[in-house]
Parts: sequence; C-alpha cells; structure tokens
Amino acid sequence: MDDKKKKIKKPRGVAKLIPGKCIACGARCQTSCPKEGVEMNDKGEPVFNAALCIGCAKCVKVCPSGAIEMFLTEEEKKLLAEWEAQRAAEGGALKAEEGEEAKAANQPKLKEYSGVWVFVEQSDGNAATVAWELLGVGGELAKKLGVELCAIVIGDNVKHLCDEAFSYGASKAYLVDDPVYKNYRTESYYKAVCHLVRKYKPEIVLVGATGLGRDLAGAVATDLLTGLTADCTGLAIDDKGFLMQTRPAFGGNIMATIMTERTRPQMSTVRPHVMPMPSCDKGRKGTVIVEPSPVKENDILVKVLQIIEDSRHGADAIDVSAADVIVSGGRGMLSKENFGILQDLADQLGGVVGCSRAAVEAGYMPVERQVGQTGKTVRPKIYIACAISGAIQHLVGMQDSDVIIAVNRDHHAPIFEVATYGIVGDVFQVIPAITKRLKELKKQKVAC
Amino acid sequence: MSVSTVIFIVVFIAAVTLFFSSCFNRFRMVALGKPDNRFKEIGRRIWNMLYYPFSQRCTISRSYRFGINHALLFWSFMLLLIANTEFLLHGLAPDAIAFSKLPSGAYHALAMIFDIVSILVLVSIVAAVVRRFFFPPKFIEARSRDAFIILGLIATLMIAFFFTHGAEIAQGEDAAVAAAASYMPISNFIGTSILGGLSTGGAETVGHFFWWIHAIALLGFLNYLPYSKHMHILTSIPNCFFRSIDKVVTQPREEFKKGNVYGAERVDQLTWKDLFDSYSCTECGRCSDNCPAANTGKALQPRLLIHDIKLNLLKNGPLLVKKGEPAQPLIGEQHGGSVSEQVLWDCTTCGACMEVCPVFIEHVPKIVKMRRHLVEMKSKFPHELHNFFENIEGRSNPWGIAPEKRASWIQEAGASLFEAGKTEYLFYVGCAGSFDSRSKQVTLATTKVLNAAGVSWGVLGKDELCCGDSLRRLGNEFVFEDMAKKNVKLFQDKGIKKIITQCPHCFSTLKNDYRQYGADIEVLHHTEFINSLIEQGKLKLNGGANLGKVVFHDSCYLGRYNSVYDEPRQAVAAATGKAPAEMDKNKQRAFCCGGGGGRMWLEETVGERIYVARTEQALEQEPDTICTCCPYCMTMFEDGLKDKKAEDKVKVMDLSEIVASALKQG
Repeated sequence: MDDKKKKIKKPRGVAKLIPGKCIACGARCQTSCPKEGVEMNDKGEPVFNAALCIGCAKCVKVCPSGAIEMFLTEEEKKLLAEWEAQRAAEGGALKAEEGEEAKAANQPKLKEYSGVWVFVEQSDGNAATVAWELLGVGGELAKKLGVELCAIVIGDNVKHLCDEAFSYGASKAYLVDDPVYKNYRTESYYKAVCHLVRKYKPEIVLVGATGLGRDLAGAVATDLLTGLTADCTGLAIDDKGFLMQTRPAFGGNIMATIMTERTRPQMSTVRPHVMPMPSCDKGRKGTVIVEPSPVKENDILVKVLQIIEDSRHGADAIDVSAADVIVSGGRGMLSKENFGILQDLADQLGGVVGCSRAAVEAGYMPVERQVGQTGKTVRPKIYIACAISGAIQHLVGMQDSDVIIAVNRDHHAPIFEVATYGIVGDVFQVIPAITKRLKELKKQKVAC
Repeated sequence: MSVSTVIFIVVFIAAVTLFFSSCFNRFRMVALGKPDNRFKEIGRRIWNMLYYPFSQRCTISRSYRFGINHALLFWSFMLLLIANTEFLLHGLAPDAIAFSKLPSGAYHALAMIFDIVSILVLVSIVAAVVRRFFFPPKFIEARSRDAFIILGLIATLMIAFFFTHGAEIAQGEDAAVAAAASYMPISNFIGTSILGGLSTGGAETVGHFFWWIHAIALLGFLNYLPYSKHMHILTSIPNCFFRSIDKVVTQPREEFKKGNVYGAERVDQLTWKDLFDSYSCTECGRCSDNCPAANTGKALQPRLLIHDIKLNLLKNGPLLVKKGEPAQPLIGEQHGGSVSEQVLWDCTTCGACMEVCPVFIEHVPKIVKMRRHLVEMKSKFPHELHNFFENIEGRSNPWGIAPEKRASWIQEAGASLFEAGKTEYLFYVGCAGSFDSRSKQVTLATTKVLNAAGVSWGVLGKDELCCGDSLRRLGNEFVFEDMAKKNVKLFQDKGIKKIITQCPHCFSTLKNDYRQYGADIEVLHHTEFINSLIEQGKLKLNGGANLGKVVFHDSCYLGRYNSVYDEPRQAVAAATGKAPAEMDKNKQRAFCCGGGGGRMWLEETVGERIYVARTEQALEQEPDTICTCCPYCMTMFEDGLKDKKAEDKVKVMDLSEIVASALKQG
C-alpha cells in the first residue's frame, strides 16, 4: 500500500511565443536560456525546443516586449491548481525553482567580484585625460554600489600616476611598474591587466576608448571571456547592482542599454570628452598595491625597435578624423585665402579646418583635410559646414557627428536636412560674426 | 628520288614534329585552367567561327580604316594556303604532285590567282612596315622585334615565291609552265626581265635556291608561330567558335563552401577559356585604344593585361603541369607576367575593350576574378571601399543612411507602395534615386512621367535594398550573393513580375545577374519604358522642351551592356522636336564616365580624371544640355562641368527630366 502522499511537482509548462509581439530585439531570450533551447528564425523570432525547456521562465522575464508566455496543457493547468492547493495546505517554504537554484549557483560566483576599476592609460608617464574622466563616473558607480574605486596603473616609472589617480577620486591603485611596460604592446599590457583582474576580482572595469584602450579592452575581455561594451555614452547602476551600459545603436536610431549578466567583470570603454572631468583634490590619499610584473620581456615576441617621431609639423600634421570640432568649407568659400575665416573660428573653438572634395579640387585645401566618401570619415562633437551644399558624397563622411551646424546661402541645400542647427546666410558675414562674439564671450568670462 | 627530296622529307618531318610538339606544350598549359562549357549551341558557334574571321568585319570597322590591310592579308593567306599545301606536297613527292599537272584551265586560273595575291601580300607588308615606322599606333610595342620578324618572313616567302616561279619560267623546260607564264604576270616579269639572261642550268640553280629559301621560311615560320603573337593564326578562328554566345555582362557565381578558394591569383584559377584568350591576342591594341583608363594615363592597359596573363602562363605553366608551384605571382609588381593591384582597380568595367576585340577576348571577367581574390581572400582593397562595403552590408546603401530614409521622397511625390496583385510595375528607384539630392529630382521627374501616362506603378519604400552591382564588379561576392538572394526573394514574395529601373546598373544587374539566382522578371530601363509610352501615344508631349542643343551620352551599362541605344534618342527627339546631337565617341564606342566597376566610390589619383575627359568630349559639341540616363553619369558630368567652369553655360538633365519638361499641361 502506498501511504506516502504523492508530492506534486509544480508544472512549469514550456515557453511559447505570442505571435506578433516579438520585436526582434536581438535574441535576448536565446541568450538567457540555460539549456540552449532557443533557436532564432530568419525574422529574429525565437523557436522554442519544448523537449529542452525546463520551464525556468528566464526568457519570459528578459523579453522586452512581453512576447513569451509559459504554456500549460489542460492537464498541467489542473496539476497547477492541485499543487497550489497542496502548497497552501502545507504552508511550507517554497522549494527553490530550478532556475533559482541555478541563479543561486551563479550568485556566489558573481558575488566574488567587487570594486570599480579604471585603467589609467599613459604614454611616457603622461596620463591620458580620459582616465580621469572615467574616475569621475567610476566614482559615482562605486558610491552607488558601496564599493571602492581603484585605478590600474601600468608602465615604467609611473608611480606618480597613482597619486594623480588618488587626487581624482581613486582610493586604491594597483601598480605594475616594470621596464617591460615602457612602450605599449598588446601582449604585455593585456596579460598584466588580466592577471590583476583574476587576482583581485573587480566587478567593473572601465577603459578609455582611445586607440590603445580599444586594443587593450578587447584583448582583456577575450582572455577573461567576459562581455565588453564599446563607446558607451552612459553608465549607471540598476536596482540589482548591475552595470547599465548605454550606447547608440543602429546608426544612432536607438539607444541600447546593455547588461553583462552572466560574467564578470563588466567591461566598458568610453570615448574621451564624453564624461565630465571630476574635481581634482591634491590632498586626497590612497593605498598603492604594488604587484610584481607577471610578464617577462622574454615572453613577449613583439619588440619595439624604433619609435619614429612624426616629422610633419604644422598644418600638415593635423588629422581631421581625430578632432572634436571641425569647421569645414566647401566650394562656396571661393578662394584659399577665404578659408582663413574658418581657421579663425576653429582657433576660437579649439578645432581644425576641414573641407569638401570640391574645395580640394579647386585647390583651396590639401587633400588630407577632405571629408567625405573618398576622403576621411569624421565623428566630431561639432561639425560646422560652411558653404557646403551637402551632397550625399560629403554627408557620408560626417553624418555621424554629434552636432551639425550648417551655414549656407541656399535654403534648399541638402545639408539642412541633416543639420542640427541651420543658418541661411552668407558665410562671409555669419562666420566672422560668430568668431567675434566668441572672442567677446571669452573676454567676459576672464573678466569675471 | 633526288637528294634534295630526301633532305626535304627529313626537314619536313623534323619541322612538323617540332611544330606539333610546341603546340602540344602550349595547349597543354591551357588545360590547366578551370572548366568552362563553350560547346552549347554548336550551330551558332560554327557560324561565328566562319562568319567573323572570313568576313574580317571586326578588323575593318568605322574607326580602324587601316584594318583593310589586315583583311587583304588574311584573305590572301587563306588562298595561299592552297598554294603552300601544293608546295609542301610537291617537295615530298615532286613527280607526283604539281599544279602544272592539272588541266590547263584550272592550272592557269590558280597560277594567276596566286601570283596576284602574292603581290598584294607584298604590298600589304610594305604598307604595314611604313605604318609602323611613320604612323605608328599609340603604343610603342608596335615596333617590336616580333612584328618585324613576322613581316620579314612573309615578305621573304613572297619574294621567294616569285623568284622560284620566275626561275621555272626562265628555265623554259616545262611546257605546262611555259604555257601558264602569261597568267603569272609578276613571276613572268621576274622570269623574263630579271632572270632571262641566265642559262638553263643557272636558272635551275636560282630556282632551286629560292625554292629552298621558301621551304625554310615556310617551315621556320610554322615553328615560329607558337612562340610569337602570330599564334593568333591558330587560335583566332577557334576563339570565335568559343566566344560567349551571350554578351559578356555578368560574372559567374561563386560556390561558397568550406575549403574553396575564391577568385584568381594563379593562372590555373582562371578558366581554360581565359588562358586560350591570352594566346589568341593579336596585340592589335584596340582594347587599350578604347579603354577610358588607358586613355587617361592610368596603369591599366587591357592589351598588356592579357599579355601579362599569357607571359605568366608561359612562365608558370611548365611548373604547374608537373604539379609544382608557380614561380611568378599573377597579381604583384607590374612587370612581364604579373598584374599589379592598381591595374585591377583602375577598370570601370565599361566593356569597350570587349566590344572592339577582333577575336572576342573577354577582359572584364578576368579582372573581376582577380579582384575577387583580393577582396575575398586577402581583404585587400583601396581604403575608400572600407566604408562602402560596411555601409552596403550594414545598411544596404552605399552611404550608410538609415534604410527607412529611403521612403522620405515618397510622400512628396504622392507615390504609393507596390501591392501584389494590384500594381503592374515595380518602380525600382535605386540608392541614388532615393538618397542623392540631385538624383531625387530625377526620381520625381520619372514619377511625374509615369503618372502622366497613367501607368500602374508602386515602390518598395523602405524595404528596397541596394541591387549590389558595385559589389559584384568590385569582387565582393560574399555580400553580393547575400543581397541578390534577399532581393530575388523579396520580388518573389511580393509577386513582382515587371520592374522599371532608373539606373542602368540596377537595370543590368536585375535583368542579367539576378537570373543566376532564379529571378524570372521583365526588367526595363526607364528610357526604354518612357519611349514605349511615347510610341503608344500614352504621353502627350508638346515638343517644346526648350533645352537648346542637346547632346546625348550613352551609359555603358545601358548601351554596350544591354544594346539600348535608339530608344532614349527617340524619346529625346519626341520631347525636343529633334534628334539629339552625338559625340564623336558614341553608341558602341561611347567613352565611359568613369563611375562603373565600383569606381564611383574610388578616387582617381593618377593622370587625367576620366569624368573630366568625357566632359571635355561633350563640350566639344558645344551643347546647352547634356542628356544622361544614369545617376553615376549625371554626378560625373555635373562635377566635370564644375571643374571645367562650364556649369553656368551647360546643364545636365536626365531623360526623364527632359520628357517631364515637355509634358503638355492639363
């Protein structure tokens, strides 16, 4: 006789797509499934493998448009009712769902990671300012999490940078000081960073999105098998303590918030001048943790044989694609000399002068300054297009600029379709007027 | 049997053996190439093989009047083949075979024909030498050693011919020969006036001497053939047989499979037909003569490209035949046997080379195959293409603009989307027509014309994808295959059966290339469609489009590629009241604007700009309006006019804009 009361297991059902609701977000459901039971079809919609589904409902929770539901057969629905009745009768504690078990299994792993780290990029002992900007935003993240803000300082004879980091808000600095790090090489630097991360387990690592930073961050993230979000414009902590990494996507048509849910550390790169500079307090102190170099010179196959100084000086050495502010002129500038008024404005704004192909063909500017389809692609913060019609061949080179200001006599000029601000007027009047006003404003500021 | 005959038999056997051995070695290397079925439609092929060479119609053409010289040479050579066959057989069996043994009627006729033909050949040779020295074609290789050796050998053969026969006549021993003497004017002249004073024995010796000169020259020439450009004697007629039955307007699909190699970086990765082409080249240089790149100082010269492929095959062939590795790269530093990367990127795929080639060599597919290697295997291409490839792959348009912006002109035009079952024609706007501000004006004009004619038309709106033309011509089959499949599926899903395109590149790609992906659609270019509307009386034109003198520019992908020459001209005539003016280089010989082959996205840094050269050609006609049918051509001319500071005097208009301006109001 079976006198053991039959323990009913809570029927969880299988995941099912609600037709028409999927927004093809990019397979979040697939990523969330612990059993790899979700395939994506050509339309970006999920196809659930019922045989693999354990009913953990993670996909249901992660779907941004509520397009997934747990499907129960009639039998299962009856079972569910019975289970709830039994549970109510028992009044006992809920047995952990398998999903929650899994979460619990993961939790200790994630919990091991603590702290917000910022990589201090340096060249010949001079720190890149983006590192200080990151300490600013990193400090806010650390405060919200209640953890410490640390700096990673790697180089040769760079201890002074630890002190600088403290003045910008770091409470700790991990220092790896050795001649092997004198010149940046991917292998030496990424190995050093990974060694530190594995030993000290930060939950967040921030790197500046410079050429060096992009090279380093990618290598580190690959080695650590963790996620990396590049070019973030926003960083924040959500109510679960995860890092929310925000960046524009799909050509700037949407802002995507990206989470690194299952791995640590959460890594992001941020472009220079996106985050504000924090205040500098020379009095602040911190702890320096000196870490011996995990890398020996003999281990690195790449050797720096010679550093060739950029012999170009003056105007030719300017790279328009690196500038934050570009004042650009087109055929309508009419002469080489007239580009001088653009240079004046650029000087006031701390920018450089660019041009369209027409200006190069007409001999007004050298080809290095050309922005466009067959020239350079630029993404400055501010692009001022003067006497440029805005033909598509030019637009393709600058349409991703943060702010586009257009000045043109012709109010039908296509440039106005993409400009954030447009001024219909004569460049020869408008630009000098702007330059003059800027000079006045600067004088006023100084006077105050 | 005389000693002379025995020696000749030995010499003959040696020469012929050597000749066949040389041929075998050469052609064995052609077999290294990949397969290519050139045996379909045998009937047409045989016709091609007989008609083209024997009519010599490619050599004698409008712009190459001197080709008549070659035609003369060719026909004479064909006739002299009979004479030379008799000559060799006579040498092997002198008593058995001789023309003089034929009935006198036949013998006299043949004797006269050969005599006259031989002097024509000699005149032709002299003309050729004079031309090479005093009026040479543009390329310096016209005065090559090869050329003069060949001319010299032929001249030697003719002179030997005359002196042999003259000596025979002077000998006076053979009655048949004596009777025929009056039918051989030049030989007779030699025989009587020059050799007349000799004794019988002396004449016999002279005759013998020149007979042997002829024999050596003939057998020597035969063996020289496989080593010179004169190999075209053996290969040009077969090449006409193997020529592509369809016009060469597409490139073959790639088979994307793990382990496959894409494109061609070695001669054995080209097809056998490509290699045979390189043997067939007569080095006439007409391709280079008509090439827009070669004419503006670029590295690309189609003749040298084909020649380099040949040299590479000759160098690497022997190694490859033994299953070894090639010693010289096909794509590398430009020198004998290697093609530089710059040469490959210079090509606009305009097809002018293939249009004029007398032996139907296919230049463009070879270039695209080598581009494929660079793009798909090496990821090596000009830096401007980085952006371009990324934009097309990611946003399906060359400028990286958000796809939904494709539809932004639709509201302004009051256009509507294509509805399956309801709309007759899909108006495939193309990337330029959707995004480029100047081309958008053309789009609006086209819609105006279509509406005026009451056509049932619709667009795809933001679902429209780029046709992928530039991708394929640049060698990026990876992305092209993807786009083509997507597009074909889109057309099938929407039940689209008829398409009107605005751009010749979209037109040619949708019409020709997409067939490889199973598309079965009627595709029309807007110029042919508009012209048919006019002919059907569906458009009321007031013939008053006052555009002054209109000069017409043929787009390569419309004209040469798809043979649409007359329809746009007729439409212009209907709109303006008179036929448009022509440029010197027009129709099949039109000069490219420089935008095709993906070059729209590249910058020209060497020599004269192609678009400037074409603008200058247009300005020579002193037009008020330049009529184009293509957004690339339009962009090029607009820029060209600005560069030549003529934008105030001359304007560029698309055909649809011209027709739209002539529509009767109300």
